[in-house]
Amino acid sequence: MKRLLLPLTLLLFLVLEGTAMDFLPKEWLLADYYIIPHWVLVVLTYIAIFYDFDSTYYCVLYGIIFGLLIDLIYTDMLGVYMFTYGLVIYITHGLKKLLHSNVFVTLLLTMIAIVTADTTIYVLYSFIQATEMVWESYILMSLLPTLAANVLFALVLYPLLPGKLQEWSESQLKRSNAI
Amino acid sequence: MPSFFRNKRLILILISIILLVALIGFTMRDRDNLTWPEEFLQDTIGGVQTVFHTPVQFVTGIYDNIKDIRQTYEQNQMLKARVSEFKDLLIDVKQLKKDNEELRKLLDKQENMSDYEEIPATVIARSPEPRWFKQLTINKGKRHGVKANMAVITGDGLVGKIQSTSAVTSTVQLLSGFDRSNVIHGVILGGEDDKDQYGLIEAPDDKQKDALLLKKIPYEAKIEKGQTVVSSGMGGVFPKGLLIGKIEKVVIDEYGLTQTAYVEPAADLYDINHVSVVDRASYSPSLDEPPSTSKEEDSE
Repeated sequence: MKRLLLPLTLLLFLVLEGTAMDFLPKEWLLADYYIIPHWVLVVLTYIAIFYDFDSTYYCVLYGIIFGLLIDLIYTDMLGVYMFTYGLVIYITHGLKKLLHSNVFVTLLLTMIAIVTADTTIYVLYSFIQATEMVWESYILMSLLPTLAANVLFALVLYPLLPGKLQEWSESQLKRSNAI
Repeated sequence: MPSFFRNKRLILILISIILLVALIGFTMRDRDNLTWPEEFLQDTIGGVQTVFHTPVQFVTGIYDNIKDIRQTYEQNQMLKARVSEFKDLLIDVKQLKKDNEELRKLLDKQENMSDYEEIPATVIARSPEPRWFKQLTINKGKRHGVKANMAVITGDGLVGKIQSTSAVTSTVQLLSGFDRSNVIHGVILGGEDDKDQYGLIEAPDDKQKDALLLKKIPYEAKIEKGQTVVSSGMGGVFPKGLLIGKIEKVVIDEYGLTQTAYVEPAADLYDINHVSVVDRASYSPSLDEPPSTSKEEDSE
């Protein structure tokens, strides 16, 4: 039962992403800024930092599964989020081994993850759909507001999530290692 | 030994890229139906979304409610003034409807392109990817009679069409997300010279984000700002007479042969909660099953 807590948390944020547009005032949506909630990615980064050990790769597995779910539910194109989230979380997991985890490192890693993921998604989509959005306007109109909004979200989560994740990590992963 | 690991990693990345390309290739085709795993997952998550949507809607609605309450008095005054106008209009409409029906009976013509049935639905999620996928999820699906390509309207006008359906949820493509492969045949209702002009509604361009493009209007047509655009029913997909929007401005297209109009959508494409899915009554050869089954039964 306890093992289900982590996927359920991710599912909760996946569903809430669909209502994220309601949280923003309508005037912002009408303006030319595109703010994209990467809440699942933020939670996945936390999982990579606080839940996984150096030798376990649960975060990458969850990244692939929930990336696929986002593709399925919110877009028409399968594979883009799945590939991006898997890759980005793998990189984050690698970087985490090099740095000692504290608030600043966590935020830095979250920012790297969001920027890499959003840019990769933009590049992949512009290959497929020939979007007319140019680089300059993408960075100004989409990447920067998205980064700001998601870092804010990560900050809100910081007092709540890491403690819980470490608790689950100790009770779940240690036991499985012992077996 | 390390080189082996490096190779393994390389192979893994190569495989995942191949998988990515294969999946994208599979989903990029114009598909009418989803595969069953997709349908199953969409319905399951749709159920969870329904549970969460109502409380979130309540919380985020509080701000709007306060704003509404502050404007109530002014609105009330204005609406009272307009109600009396509508009374006259209502009598006229009733009379015309009756006339229309009688005349139709006289002609023995039952089918009408503007007839449709409505399936009410509630929005349960909006795609968090607003750059490319302007999509909504609604809580009605195949089981309620929703099919792909049906028009979706709100009280104010057309907002989009059904893109794909599963058993109890469906995905709506908003007007602002239409691309070149799905255009609407629209008609500009006559202005001063009382002549209707036809054109094709396409997705908005990047310069003017909120306006739709109405393309391929004849060069000679005289169109003014403020004229109304409705669906023509000629495409066979949407019924006739669904309100699309108002003309904002008209320009000559890049080749100088036709005109392009910017249309401001009548419905608010950002604040959508309740919609109706429109099932047109008239038969369309390209979309419906041929209605020949009853005849065959008769002959047997």
